[in-house]
Amino acid sequence: MSANIEVPERANLVYHRFSAFHRFNHYLVMISFFGLTLTGIPLKFKTSYWSQIVMDAVGGVAAAGFIHRAMAVANILYFVLEVGYMAWYVAARKGPIFHDDSIVPGKKDWADMKGMFRWFLGKGSKPLLSRFTYWEKFDFWALFAGTFLIGGSGLMMWFPEATTRILPGVALNVALVIHSNEAFLAVGVIFIFVHFFSAHGRPESFPADEVIFSGYLPVEHYIHDRPEEYANRLKAGTLHEVVRPAPTAGRRRFFRAVTTVVTLFAFLAASYTLLLVLWPLVF
Amino acid sequence: MLLFAAPGWAADGTAAPDPADFSARCLTCHSQDYLGTVESSQGTRDLHIDPDAYKASAHGLLPCNSCHTGFTHDPHQMVANGEFFAETAGEACRNCHDDQFEMYKQSYHGELTREGGADGAKAPLCVDCHGAHEIAQVDTLEYKQSIADVCGQCHGGREDSFLDTYHGKSLTLGREASATCVDCHGDHIILPVSNPQSMLSQANILPTCQQCHPEATQKFTTFLVHVKPTSLDAPLVVLLVAVGYLALIVCVFSFGGIHTMLYIYRGFKDGLYSRKGGH
Repeated sequence: MSANIEVPERANLVYHRFSAFHRFNHYLVMISFFGLTLTGIPLKFKTSYWSQIVMDAVGGVAAAGFIHRAMAVANILYFVLEVGYMAWYVAARKGPIFHDDSIVPGKKDWADMKGMFRWFLGKGSKPLLSRFTYWEKFDFWALFAGTFLIGGSGLMMWFPEATTRILPGVALNVALVIHSNEAFLAVGVIFIFVHFFSAHGRPESFPADEVIFSGYLPVEHYIHDRPEEYANRLKAGTLHEVVRPAPTAGRRRFFRAVTTVVTLFAFLAASYTLLLVLWPLVF
Repeated sequence: MLLFAAPGWAADGTAAPDPADFSARCLTCHSQDYLGTVESSQGTRDLHIDPDAYKASAHGLLPCNSCHTGFTHDPHQMVANGEFFAETAGEACRNCHDDQFEMYKQSYHGELTREGGADGAKAPLCVDCHGAHEIAQVDTLEYKQSIADVCGQCHGGREDSFLDTYHGKSLTLGREASATCVDCHGDHIILPVSNPQSMLSQANILPTCQQCHPEATQKFTTFLVHVKPTSLDAPLVVLLVAVGYLALIVCVFSFGGIHTMLYIYRGFKDGLYSRKGGH
């Protein structure tokens, strides 16, 4: 269907998907996530051969603890920024809240998921996806809830004396269970089972989706990958809000380089996690 | 049983040799790999000594007869007496470490040497925790890291739950400041938690935590070190959170993994990966 809808001079246009704020927050999430994983996973898999090597390489457990806490502060920062943004978005009525093109899950997500499974199995065509797909909403809300849980439990263990002025000691036992399991869940979701693939490794984005680093993608790609949002905007006459002239060649090269470097780090992070988790099972 | 000819100095009454030389004499035989074991009341003892390991130990500069005090002459008559080992393992240490030995005598471990455990538990002697010929330098990280395993020899399972706490994890990976068993339970004067004199009795537990956590309050002391979160002995809230997470992890990884694999399958099947932009 998309091929029938024409945008004038679309070759020279891009679709602006993420603002500088959202890209900045993604960089914060990404960098803190790498740092927290590097210094935290060895504790969880303390007897894994590589754990000691990694701990020594970062300068010992005390240095790793410092990095971990510094990255935790970045974690708190992006969480606070995101909550602030959401409050502003709602208060200033910046856009739709309960709508197919918002981040809030709705009926379309359930229908899309069933549609995607039918498409996977060759029993139907690919559903027309809107601004945020159900797996992107899962990524976002899982990270949102996960950051709250892992950050909260982490702070409890960072300040155990203050925590137990209010809560009983068993709260620290619960905090450790939450922190350790939530970390494992998050690393598994982001590095292995969901995010790296669903955002970057799926055929529409492979090998990496530049949009989260540059903010834009070619209009051609947008029309194909987000047909529902495109149709909605066309109908509402809001396409001009998101379609902009293509950036200069220099900017394009810059973001391609950034994406390449980040992809390399992402690959290393996934390999590192697998190495620490799987090594004890094999050796 | 006399295995070797007695040294000449013993027979003709000449002066005892220099201490370092004493060790050299002992090691002439005891460094040989062919030496076997001997049964004593403290269990099977290996007669073979690794000279390099001994020299590297905390006692490496001491001659053998500093601890094996029974050897004045003709040592091998003593060997037949298994009691010798039990004596060496306790009283011999006292010659230099009297303070520690007095504390040990007052401890629960010391009490066991006199009374015997209710369930037939055997008392640990100095060497059971510190080692004998390879006795550890106690101010090293390696020694601190070995403590949980040493205690675990008798207090099985307790060391695993300790090692799963932040104290245990960070100590395993080399953080020397982390508390280990003896920092909370006490070392030479260790007593059961039920004993009012214990470092972990109701009256003493807070000052014990405050050694490292000066800001700690009474509630801080109710943190449970020896908890296996997925065991039925764990507090209900800990058990529920642990089992809940296990179920969540299994569900999310399974669903995410299946979704990802099916997506890849469709991508290859339709040749989407070979087309620029996947469409």
